[in-house]
Order: sequence, then structure tokens, then C-alpha cells
Amino acid sequence: MSRADQAEGICLVACQAVTNANADDSQAYVNQVRAEIEAEAEARRRRDPELQRREREIERVWIEVAPPGAAGDQGELLLDRADRLATIDVDVPLGAKPGIRQLKGAIRKVAYWYLRYVSDQVNALNNVLTRLLRRFDERLSVLEDAVGIADGGGLLDPIPEPDGAVAELVASILGAQTGRTVVLGCGSGVLVRPLHDAGIAVHGVDVDALVILPGVRDGLDLRAFDPGAHLAEARPGEFGSIVAAGFVEDLGPASAQRIVEQSLVAASNGTVVIVTGDPAERGIVERELRAGRGLSPATWAYLFERTGAAVELVGTPDPRFRTLVVARLS
Amino acid sequence: MNAIRVHQFTAAIGPRDAVSHHTFEVDTLLRDLGYETEIFAQHSHPDLRDRVHDYRLHADLEADVLLYQASTGSRVGDYVLTRTEPLIVNYHNLTPAEMFDPWEPHVGAELDAGRRQLGRLARKALRGLADSHFNAAELEAAGLGDVVVAPVLFDPPPLRRSASIDVGEPPTVLFVGRLSPNKCQEDLIAATAALREWIPDVRLKLVGGTSSHRYETALREHAQRVCPGGVEFAGSVSETQLADLYAHADVFLCLSEHEGFCVPVIEAMAAGTPVVAFAAAVLPETIGNAGILLEDKSPTNVAVALERVLTDRELRAWLVEKGRARAATFSPERNRAIMREALRAAVEVCV
Repeated sequence: MSRADQAEGICLVACQAVTNANADDSQAYVNQVRAEIEAEAEARRRRDPELQRREREIERVWIEVAPPGAAGDQGELLLDRADRLATIDVDVPLGAKPGIRQLKGAIRKVAYWYLRYVSDQVNALNNVLTRLLRRFDERLSVLEDAVGIADGGGLLDPIPEPDGAVAELVASILGAQTGRTVVLGCGSGVLVRPLHDAGIAVHGVDVDALVILPGVRDGLDLRAFDPGAHLAEARPGEFGSIVAAGFVEDLGPASAQRIVEQSLVAASNGTVVIVTGDPAERGIVERELRAGRGLSPATWAYLFERTGAAVELVGTPDPRFRTLVVARLS
Repeated sequence: MNAIRVHQFTAAIGPRDAVSHHTFEVDTLLRDLGYETEIFAQHSHPDLRDRVHDYRLHADLEADVLLYQASTGSRVGDYVLTRTEPLIVNYHNLTPAEMFDPWEPHVGAELDAGRRQLGRLARKALRGLADSHFNAAELEAAGLGDVVVAPVLFDPPPLRRSASIDVGEPPTVLFVGRLSPNKCQEDLIAATAALREWIPDVRLKLVGGTSSHRYETALREHAQRVCPGGVEFAGSVSETQLADLYAHADVFLCLSEHEGFCVPVIEAMAAGTPVVAFAAAVLPETIGNAGILLEDKSPTNVAVALERVLTDRELRAWLVEKGRARAATFSPERNRAIMREALRAAVEVCV
């Protein structure tokens, strides 16, 4: 180490020591001021009992204007109100009836303890219910993670996209349809391409931003967004037709029913095509890991028929997507 | 060689918003470092849309590193979680849901969801940046092992005053921050009401928009009943007006139960306004020894502290001097230098 380095090092140590000393002095000074403030506040409270009453009054006003659970002890407020409503005044002049004072005192004490008990119970129930709801929410998240809804599972390969023949078939079914078409769960855009090439106003939506990239680069209108949310946020009659693929194989019966109901709004008088494999034809691994999710084309047809839609099952040459569900809404 | 592409994400961008200002400053630093960078947000103010893109348009872009400014739960956060690029999380704190539950239960639920999202982001991120040790501890608790403390970037208003009180003007107690249950403005009103017993013409100015209309309504009624005519709700103000308010305030009072950094405390110190605060959350870290930190915020205790700061010239001068020195340690130049280095190191970890 050179002399200059040594000198600089000594200087740094010295400067640090001064800084630390200053910091210590400052700490001591603010601690002293704080202690003086606390002592002064306590002394004033002792000197002037009105000060404590004033503090309680300020707190009571806040408790009154704040919603339950936001401030203070709700029991005290209830007691104050009960006192006023019951017009119990234990200090009223009693004349020759000393027993009444004791009686009133006893009533007040019983009322006080009863009301405190009731308010404690109500608050406790409220707190328990709030915590319970939070626990349910947390459990639901854990459950979602466990079955892979929230994070897509990660154990299974993505659901494959249909082949070009299925896409051409869907395009031919929707060829005469007017209005905009949306492909929910569009993947790389296999189902969007023939519709786009046929001059139909179409866009695709898929939650996976990376999967849609090839299609976007090919000039297709594909958007990274949750397909279910996209359908839920659509205006009534926004779409002439809806194609749902991919993500529908991860839906349970309740979610599928919701898709049907939302389709009726978003594509009223339009056509809905469901492109899905049949869960009964899944391999053992997929069957177990995707258990409880995905409906067969026959069940999708049933759900649409219940709404009064005219439903047709159309066969395809794709071994995974053997049957398309075509629902014409009215 | 192509420049490294760092894409920055945030939930919302707006004027006079601390996280938005920080995001733009970070954008400038990233460009200075030679990176290609863009900002993406879920919501952006119309005046700022030439500088910010809708995050949904990001899908067909590629980046080398993603940087997420985390201050609330958002769809942008969900989107970032779907991406495969290395992720840096810059954490600005989330208010505990319990503080909003009695006032705005839906906000409490959103904050809860935001905290769970933070956990997922923390587990995915390679490096965390936090603007205080308090926030760093929260981010580490959420599951991110590698967190560096780097300051939030802000420009304090200009110095415009001496240590003395404006002669002839009634004493003014100032607080700057949104009307929000975690900031406990009701305690500021209570302390001012108590102080009026000894200094009858003292005024409290509450500056900032509102996070809960229900809370604001309760505050206004509270003020009217316990401190009639003594509390001014100034709402959101311009930077010039804010500098003016700091310049004319006699003491800055903060009784928040929860803060992630509390920029207004530093702004007040920089403007030469003595600071009195409740020693909770990050405030002891932000204030250091340059303000009066109270362990007890009962109205009388706070009122005595305010009276002491307003009347003790020696203490007042000491607080002004220490406050300015403390604020200087958060000077914009120093903050930018630290953040610049933190960003460079974080990107290096990712690429």
C-alpha cells in the first residue's frame, strides 16, 4: 500500500469516525427531545384531567364517523348510546330512596357487561368471517395451482392445434357468415389463417404471448389476452361468429356453461364452432393430469341445444379433433 | 453487436404520480446505459401516450430483459408472468389489505391478489430492486433471494425558505399524501384538534387526492366536528403549488401506519420544513435522525411535539439543518447514480 493510499485510508477512517460520532450525537439529541416530549405530555395529562376527556371525545367522534371495524372499541360507543337511550343517571338526586341508587348502579353494570359481551361477540364473528373468507381465497389459489388452472399445469404439453384440413373446414362453415369472427384459443393462428385469406374480418386471442408470435409475424391479427376474459368483455352482438379451441379443453362444466351463455350475448344470431378433442379418447397420462377438465363434443352440443340453438356435429379427418360442434344461435 | 433490449412494464402511467415519474427516470437511465428500452402499461394518461405503449401490443415483440415496476396487482403483472424473458422486479410496496378492508373491501381484495401476484413475480424474477430496506425485506419474504436496495427517483421541490416561521401567519402543519386509511389522516386531525387548545389558530393542510371516498367523507366529518375551520383539504396540486405549500409550512407531520418509502418526508426536509412522524413501517429508515420520531401518537403526545417544534427555535433550526443534510443524501444526482449502477448490475445478471 502506498503512502498516499495509507493517508487516504486514515482520512477515510477518521471521517467515518466523525460521521459516526455526529450520528451518535444526533441520535442522543432526538432521543432526549422525544423523552422530554413524552414527559411533558404525561405531565399535562396529570395536571389537566380535561385533556384526557378531550382525547376520548376526539376518539369517540372518529369511531362514530368510521365504519364498523375501522376504529376503536365499538363496545364503548354502544355503551355510551345505551346510557343516553336508557336515560340512566346514577348520580340523580335520590332523596329518601337510597336503594334506587344501588339498583340503578346494578342495572347499569349488567347492561354494560351484556353490551360489551354482545359487541365482542359481533366483532369476533366479523373477524372470524373475514379471516375465513381470506383462507377460502388462499385455499382456492392453492387448489388452482395444484390442478394447474392458474399456471397452465406445466406437466402436460400444450394442447395441439388442429391441422390445416380442420381449419379449411371451419372456414367453409363460416364462409357465409357476416360480421367479425373471433378465434378464442387461437394458438399460432392455424384456424385464423384460412378465414383471413378468405377476406373475413377475424382476429385471434390466446393467453400465451409466445405461441402467437409466428402468426403475428405472418400478418395475422392475434392478441395476447385471456380468451375467456375477451369473450366476457365483448359487447352484445359484437361478433358474427366465434370459434373456440385449445383453452376449452381446460374448462370444467361450469366454465363451459359460462362460455355458452357469453357466446349467446357476444354472437347473438351468429355461429359458434367448438374445436375440441374428446376427453374419452385421451391417453392415460393426459386423462389423469387433465381429470375433470374438458367436455366431449356431444356434451358441448347438449349445452348449446338447451339454449335453443340449432346444433350440428361435423366430422373431420383430424384424429384428435374428429368432430366439430357447430351451433347456430338465434 | 445489437443493443440489449430492456422492456419496462407498469400498471399505470399518469402525471404527478411517484411510480410513473420513477418509471420515466429509469427509462432515461436505461437509454444512458446503451440499452434499447420501451415502456408498456395497462393504463396511461392521454398526455403521455406518445411515451408509453399498451402492454397488449407487446405480444409480438421480443426483449432480452423485462423490468416490472411493482406497486399494485395488475393484468400487466399477469402478462409479465406469461413471458419467458429474464425478469427484474422493482418493488415500491403494497399496502396491507387489512387497512382497506373496513373502508373499501374490494380494494382490500385487490391488494390481497396483488400480494399473491408479487409472490409469483418474486419466484420468477432473477433480481429485485427495492427503494428501502423495509421493501427489500418484504420482497425477500415474498420469495426473491437476490434483492438490491436502490432509491426511488424523484426531484424534490426547490429550497425556498429559512428556518424561521412566517411572521404574522397562523402556524401551518402540513401532510402530503393521498387520503388513504394507511396514512391515518384522522390522527393528524386529532393531533391538530389537541394542539388548538394551546395554539388556537394552528391549521392543518392535507394535500393529495383520495384513495377512498368513504374514508374522505369520514375525515371531513371528523375534521368538522373536532377541529372546525382548522383543516384544509387541498386535494391534488401542481408541482409549483406543492413547492409553495412546503415553503409556507411550519412543520411536516406524518402519522402513517404504513409507508413503503414516503417521498414527501424527504421533500419536506429538502424544503427546510421540520419533520415530526410516527415511528412505523419505513419512516425510521427514511427519516433517520433528522426528525422527531414518536412511539406514541396519542393526540396530546403529538400536539406537545408539534408545539415544541413550533416554539423551540434551537430545536427547529437543528431539525431544518439535519433535514436538509438528510435530504441531500437522497439528492436526484446521487439517487440516479445508485440506480444506474443497480440497473446495470441487474441487467448483467439477466443476460
